[in-house]
Amino acid sequence: MTRYKRKDPEITRRKFINAAMGGTVAVGGISLLSTLGTANPVFRLTRDKMPPLKGDVLVHAEESKEGQIIKVSELSDQLVRAWPMGKGEDGSNVIRKGDPNNILALFRFPKGQLVAPTNLEATVDGEIVAYSDVCTHAGCSVADSDQGDGMKCPCHSGQFDPKRGCIVTGGPPPRALAQLPVQLDGEQLVVSDFFLAMPYPYIAESEWESFKKEVEEQLA
Amino acid sequence: MNQWLDERLHISRLNDKFLRKAFPVHHSFFLGEITLFSLIILILTGILLALAYEPSNSLVTNSFDPGTSDKPNLIPAAYHSALKINAMPFGDMLRRIHHWTANIMVAAAVIHMMRIYFTGAFKKPREINWWIGMLLLIFTALTAVTGYVLPYDNYAYQTLKVIYGIAASVPWVGEWVAQAAFAGKFPGAGVIPRIYGYHIMLLPGILLALTGAHMLLMIKQKHTQPQYAKRIAYKKIVGVPLSTQQTPIMLLLAIMFAAIIVLFSAFIPVHPIEHYGPPSTTPINNIKPDWYLLWVFGALAIIPSFEVHLFGGLIGAEFVGAIVVPTLFLLAMFAVPMLDRSKDNMYYAENPTNHPVRLAAGVAFMAAMIVMSVAGYKPELISAGILNTANANTILWILLFLIPAVCYFGVLGIVRGIRTLREADQRERGAFSPADD
Ligand code: FES
Repeated sequence: MTRYKRKDPEITRRKFINAAMGGTVAVGGISLLSTLGTANPVFRLTRDKMPPLKGDVLVHAEESKEGQIIKVSELSDQLVRAWPMGKGEDGSNVIRKGDPNNILALFRFPKGQLVAPTNLEATVDGEIVAYSDVCTHAGCSVADSDQGDGMKCPCHSGQFDPKRGCIVTGGPPPRALAQLPVQLDGEQLVVSDFFLAMPYPYIAESEWESFKKEVEEQLA
Repeated sequence: MNQWLDERLHISRLNDKFLRKAFPVHHSFFLGEITLFSLIILILTGILLALAYEPSNSLVTNSFDPGTSDKPNLIPAAYHSALKINAMPFGDMLRRIHHWTANIMVAAAVIHMMRIYFTGAFKKPREINWWIGMLLLIFTALTAVTGYVLPYDNYAYQTLKVIYGIAASVPWVGEWVAQAAFAGKFPGAGVIPRIYGYHIMLLPGILLALTGAHMLLMIKQKHTQPQYAKRIAYKKIVGVPLSTQQTPIMLLLAIMFAAIIVLFSAFIPVHPIEHYGPPSTTPINNIKPDWYLLWVFGALAIIPSFEVHLFGGLIGAEFVGAIVVPTLFLLAMFAVPMLDRSKDNMYYAENPTNHPVRLAAGVAFMAAMIVMSVAGYKPELISAGILNTANANTILWILLFLIPAVCYFGVLGIVRGIRTLREADQRERGAFSPADD
């Protein structure tokens, strides 16, 4: 029986069709997958997406005052949100809010209250300090705590202490908020360097370092 | 004319196969129908909304409040069009109906699945339909979430940021996945068109295909029969045929359901986009996902932060809380039909109390979901002084295991108790009845 069956042309034809269909599905599937590449557009690092850079002026982020330069007198132990504002390619002012992770938190504490691990060199007179305002946990914008001291993330109640380098004092965030070195230039608060540590959304120092390089190369 | 059509289309076969399909007479069998009606209402209102919605996040001048010519008031086009929809006659109502129906669809689907689970209707031969049902549930939730983002107000924007963060938290490939899914680094210039495509083409397409398969299988395999059918006619299909008896019932149900939704929408406003305003950096206090995803949110809230670096990838709390834990829960639900080893086909819906372990496990599972959802309110629990930051996680973790365990053994105890009572009752009755009974 089997001997005859093997010679049966019906079977070979079926086999052929199966193989042909399988081949078509495989080739077609792969070529369809390749179109998925278009799903991921190229990232262009424009100036408004660059992180806070040396020389950027800090301006208000709050909607009613957006773009106005922040005065020292406006700062207190209550959080003030700021954007870095730099120069565009044509020399005009560019607020770097193309990347929402550039949002900053500014505080001013009476002298002596800011302590390590805050980098005091990177503050103004040990009084004014700037941090990334993006929670290292899932990237929410951190606010003043509703229970007195410090900052609290509204998403999963992460807590930070802005007087001690914004270390985590409660909740799930894995890292402190990154401190941004600032200095006073006349009336303006000016960024004096990159963030001192990697900010959200970076998860490896190496990535943050290579991103900084990329930014510097593009500016050079 | 009938004959002419019949010779060409074999209507009589359709009639036998589909129009005469028997529907069991029991109210719990309406849950699936309600889910289906929701889908229909969603598609109809969705089409109307799509006619007025502008899927773009490029900035346009707010026509309601244009600002000045040197400082125009720019808002995303999608948000602008949502404001315009609210301003058109019945526009707000349309949004409300769409929104509430979506919530009801998820709820009806969940209760429908509970009915299937507790009566054992997932057993052979209906396993495939349980799995399709699971896929329907997942894709319904995804469709709802993508719809959430479309008005592109600040709430949607903050939600999207978290969703992006979750996608990016997958080790090794996360960043690529997130960028491919949401058209570039957050918030990419094409993110709203991308999500719009998902919400009105891709996901509804999948939903319709799955729904079709779900119903065809149901017609092929027939409904499980309610218990009374066993007494009336053993191993026979009992019920009313789709045409003509079930149709008026269905129509009545559909109209009543639509009426309830419209009434509901008339009085309960949805998500006030004007209140939240266009995307901004101001965080929203106590931002929460919709109720059916609250448990995932709760998982994120109570998982302590940790980071493991593995072969250059990062496994963190985000990934575990928002992807691993939900996957495990969903896998457990997918595995339900595999727990049953019976060889015979199932005909009759079972009485849940005859299967105490299944009943208790189901109740415990739902209790765990509820505890996790409550954990989503951790910040509120802390603000209200019920818990404090130091003990919140510990207490919630203990509850997460304790309450389901209590439910499990509680249900077992109650069911066993009822059974002993019933048996004692029967024995007593047996003692008094004549011997030849
Ligand atoms: S995003 Fe801040 S605690 Fe989760």
